[in-house]
Amino acid sequence: MPLMRRLLLTLIGLLLAGSIGWSGLQRPEEISILMPAPFADATVDQVKQFNADHSGRIVLNVIRGPRDTESISDLAISSLLLGTPPFDALLVDVTWLPKYVAADWLQPLDPWFDDADVDALVAGARLGNSVNGDLYRWPFGADVGLLYWRKDLMPEPPRTASDLIQIASRLRADGKVKEGFVWQGRQYEGLSCNFVEFLSAFGGTWLDPVTGQPELDSKAARATVHWMQQLIREGTSPLAVSNYAEPETLQAFKAGDAALMRNWPYAWAELQSDSSAVKGRVGVTTMVAEPGASPAATLGSWGFSLLRGSQHQQATAEAIRALTSSQAQRDRFLQQGYTPTEASLFEDPELLEASPVLTQLKEALAIAVPRPITPLYAQMSDLLQRQLSGVLTEKRDPDQAMEQLQGATITLLRSAGGES
Amino acid sequence: MNWLLALPALLLIALVFGWPMLRYGWLSLHASSVLTGLEPVPNQGANWARLLEDPRFWQDALQTLRFGVVSVGLEMVLAFAIALLLDQRWRGRGVVRALTLLPWALPTTMMALGWRWIFNTPYGPLEQLAQAAGLSPLNLLSNPDWTWFAAVMADVWKTTPFVTLLLLAGLQTIPDDLYSAFRLEGGKTRQAITAITLPLLTPYILISLLFRTAQAAGVFDLIQVLTGGGPAGSTESIAQYAYLNAMRFLDFGYSSTVMLAGFLLLSLVIATAALLLQMSRLLRPLKS
Repeated sequence: MPLMRRLLLTLIGLLLAGSIGWSGLQRPEEISILMPAPFADATVDQVKQFNADHSGRIVLNVIRGPRDTESISDLAISSLLLGTPPFDALLVDVTWLPKYVAADWLQPLDPWFDDADVDALVAGARLGNSVNGDLYRWPFGADVGLLYWRKDLMPEPPRTASDLIQIASRLRADGKVKEGFVWQGRQYEGLSCNFVEFLSAFGGTWLDPVTGQPELDSKAARATVHWMQQLIREGTSPLAVSNYAEPETLQAFKAGDAALMRNWPYAWAELQSDSSAVKGRVGVTTMVAEPGASPAATLGSWGFSLLRGSQHQQATAEAIRALTSSQAQRDRFLQQGYTPTEASLFEDPELLEASPVLTQLKEALAIAVPRPITPLYAQMSDLLQRQLSGVLTEKRDPDQAMEQLQGATITLLRSAGGES
Repeated sequence: MNWLLALPALLLIALVFGWPMLRYGWLSLHASSVLTGLEPVPNQGANWARLLEDPRFWQDALQTLRFGVVSVGLEMVLAFAIALLLDQRWRGRGVVRALTLLPWALPTTMMALGWRWIFNTPYGPLEQLAQAAGLSPLNLLSNPDWTWFAAVMADVWKTTPFVTLLLLAGLQTIPDDLYSAFRLEGGKTRQAITAITLPLLTPYILISLLFRTAQAAGVFDLIQVLTGGGPAGSTESIAQYAYLNAMRFLDFGYSSTVMLAGFLLLSLVIATAALLLQMSRLLRPLKS
């Protein structure tokens, strides 16, 4: 009996010790990534797959953040300021990157993504991921501004800024459509995105790429703002666009009340839904440009960034790679309509068959233009939005507005001590 | 020894109010932004010098004041009228009393989104009404001269119930006997309001004014959602400007300065109001 008992005790002891040791050895690395809700929902399957593939080694949790860009920025910044955020990586908007890098929150991704990876990306997706030569962001999807046009109202979309006004006024004069061109004129980031495209249409740039100086009082910039004011004054766009964000713009176009719309790729799926009055009558192209100027598509898009403070950098980088793999991009494009980032997928027969606009998306991505890449971008954009909003709503003189804006932007950059 | 009893309360105030204020004050004397790597670097009052010369801050201060004065004023008048009505005895009063509270119970962001669609051109109900009446589009959210009033309308809709509730509670403390006696002596109903109701309601009016002024001075969520500060910055409030500086620009030094200056301005406004009130009492003491 005593022997049996001793044996039993030993056995239990061994089992206990073994299980503790085992769990200590095998405890999987837990990593979390913060994403806006729609992206968290779009990656559910891929996260499941990743956890199955790395069973016992890595457990990936997705933190489902708010939907709105500004809200998720507030959440991310609040956590980052507190020092030890409860996540290892997060999805960042293209305009946040230089600011986050300047605040020293991010870890370069260079050890995990090499030149071959970058070269495999479609042109537009290569932009806005690096700061000062280091890779800090890996794109989740490609996103650029597009011009949507009504195939039943015009045989070809307008190609120049003056074309656009002409076509719109003819359609309105003939009573074929209520509004000509709808876009995002509300005082918010979307207005800056629209402006970048319009500015390029007249051959201008926000910051000179060589000197880094603002070019907001250039001839091209003035012409752009005159044109924007003209759109509203001549009725090509309703005054209401000066308070439109994406949802209002889409609603007007979807209801069949507008001939042309500037919006992001997500609008396509909405326009093909059964609730759309223009289903099957919409074409997609790139923004207009005056002769001699090159059209541009403002780069949007989210991407994964690794946090400097993460204790699981290797595991997190693996997760980022898995969530942005070819297969993941295919799935997301086919299921939710997220534009892929890998160049070869734009030639994929299955994807081409699933979406008639993939070719146009690639064309737009080829002319993608990022907004100025500086930690002071948020301030620059805020200055721009206020002046443009004034031009659109209170008929402020465009030349005067741009002169003031140029001065204010120079002061801002000079106060930063860097680029003057 | 009595002050010892107040110590827990004083400690709490020091912790949740005093400490943050000191921290704001300290931070406002430092540069702390992306340019300093978010490290606080003393900058000899440069933030305050910048604030004094920042037309945007002063514009926002005036806009916040305009918003506060007009919306609180309208709320007081409306709430008083509604409270009088709800204080009378009539069938279905209970249900109506409950219903009038509803706007107050809604989260501000949700109701602001709702109002954004109400004011939407051309699909919002307001524009539909204008169209039906044969008016040209109102474009209330695209008018730098008038968009602020749209914010006032939404705020009045949302917070009048709160003031109504306070005033209604006040009305119920006034004994009916006073009115009966007044009528017996030949007083008119209209006179009863100025002779009995308003004087006895004064403490309740003051407390509602205090609550609402403090809230209106810090208005943020309503405007952020409804107009985003636009068009052309014509609806931006001080709180919004401070938020922009902190959370968008990561300029914590200047953001603290804006917040603290806003607080000082609000204290100044309230102190002036209190002083005026005191003076008016001295001139015309309330009859009890």
